[in-house]
Amino acid sequence: MSALQDIAVKVIGPGGLSGNVEALLHEIATLLAALATEGRSSSIDLQGLPLTPADREYLRQRLGAGEVRALVNALGPSEVRETAYRGVWWVTHRNAADELCAELIEVTPVPQILLADRQEIVDALERLRLCLCDGAARGP
Amino acid sequence: MDPQGTVGEALRHQGVSRRSFLKFCAAMASMMGLPPDAAAAIAESLAKARRPSVIWLPFQECTGCTESLTRSNSPTVESMIFNMISLDYHETLFAAAGEAAEAAREKAIKENFGRYLLLVDGSIPTGLDGAYSCIGGVSNVQMLQEAAKGAAAIVAIGTCAAFGGLPKANPNPTGAVPVSALVTDRPVINVSGCPPIPVVITGVLAHYLTFGSVPELDALGRPKAFYGDTIHDRCYRRPFYDQGKFAKTFDDEGARSGWCLYELGCKGPVTYNACATVKWNDGTSFPIESGHGCLGCSEPDFWDKGDFYKALPTGTWSAGRTLAVAAAAGAAVGAAAAAVSRRRQAAIAKEK
Repeated sequence: MSALQDIAVKVIGPGGLSGNVEALLHEIATLLAALATEGRSSSIDLQGLPLTPADREYLRQRLGAGEVRALVNALGPSEVRETAYRGVWWVTHRNAADELCAELIEVTPVPQILLADRQEIVDALERLRLCLCDGAARGP
Repeated sequence: MDPQGTVGEALRHQGVSRRSFLKFCAAMASMMGLPPDAAAAIAESLAKARRPSVIWLPFQECTGCTESLTRSNSPTVESMIFNMISLDYHETLFAAAGEAAEAAREKAIKENFGRYLLLVDGSIPTGLDGAYSCIGGVSNVQMLQEAAKGAAAIVAIGTCAAFGGLPKANPNPTGAVPVSALVTDRPVINVSGCPPIPVVITGVLAHYLTFGSVPELDALGRPKAFYGDTIHDRCYRRPFYDQGKFAKTFDDEGARSGWCLYELGCKGPVTYNACATVKWNDGTSFPIESGHGCLGCSEPDFWDKGDFYKALPTGTWSAGRTLAVAAAAGAAVGAAAAAVSRRRQAAIAKEK
């Protein structure tokens, strides 16, 4: 009785590099220029682009790695990686089942998802104060 | 009963973090094919949007569409839409029952008249004056007509609500009709499928919440963002179709090699849905990937469109001529492949 993985599936499809990565890098350069001169943040959705798996790997190599790698746990793992080019970030959003939700190149000082929200800061202060009150009430 | 506050406030009260919300907006923007910069705009307008009152009316249905949407126990990116809306009436899910539930529905309609979203699943039987399906003595026909009056928009969820579905199949004993047959003066969005892909339902609701308008619809009233391509257009087995490699039975060499299922009745070429890209069960698989041809469940009258296991006749869709050529080439290649296969099997048998 053969196992599921023994069933041969041979897919002959387009492989290799499509040449789209060069165009993409040029676009990133333009966006980075806008960030540098006008302070304007922007992003590129990688899922909407015709990139082969080889393209993606090549793009990763070309962009390289920077100083920051952050893991955000919000209804599933999200990863924020700074590339070798300051201001250019590779952001991957996955849901709780580890399925890819969105993959973006963000050109910005810091991706929005890393920032703490204003209203949540106010809520946190309230909670912390309550926590301190409780501590004091229990006392030595 | 009034939907309290904005969507942003509702999420905050339910403990959904801002980061989770931003992630949801990024995923929605990507899924709807909007530019990624739109995610920030979506987040801003969605957080400020008044939390809409939503009324869900289940009619002549199997509850599969509700099941498709509500299978998660904790908030996920896909199900967050339910944290954003105020589901003021859903007969199957409601804790209340009987008169208390009916009163809740009437109150929701009255207090949000002109502003609520009406979600419908199941077809509506019109035979015997609508007697075939009644809730609390009120026929589905009457209930739909009353609820539609004050609805800002109506989403017909599932093929039964969108096109009549299984109840409407020959001989249609209950006189089942789709929502659009009874409601003609309100915008109706058809989210077809048996059931529809859950995240597609979410995407449609998210679009409506964010932009306050109905998304762009095709000729059958389905949102183009999800129903713009046929399964065939995005099928990963397309290279095999193009090369004329078809499985002839469900367990032959071709089937085991993952070849095209056209000859086993796949209705992919004439079916519009997002199954080939978005897939099912959190992107696990879809019928063709699991070895069975597409049934065409998001199309009208798919139950009556001929054998599920008989190939689409050439000429029923625009690539008819190409198909004939491909099939002929496929037959030749297939015959050759079968011959090779038989020789190989004979060789293996001889070795034993």
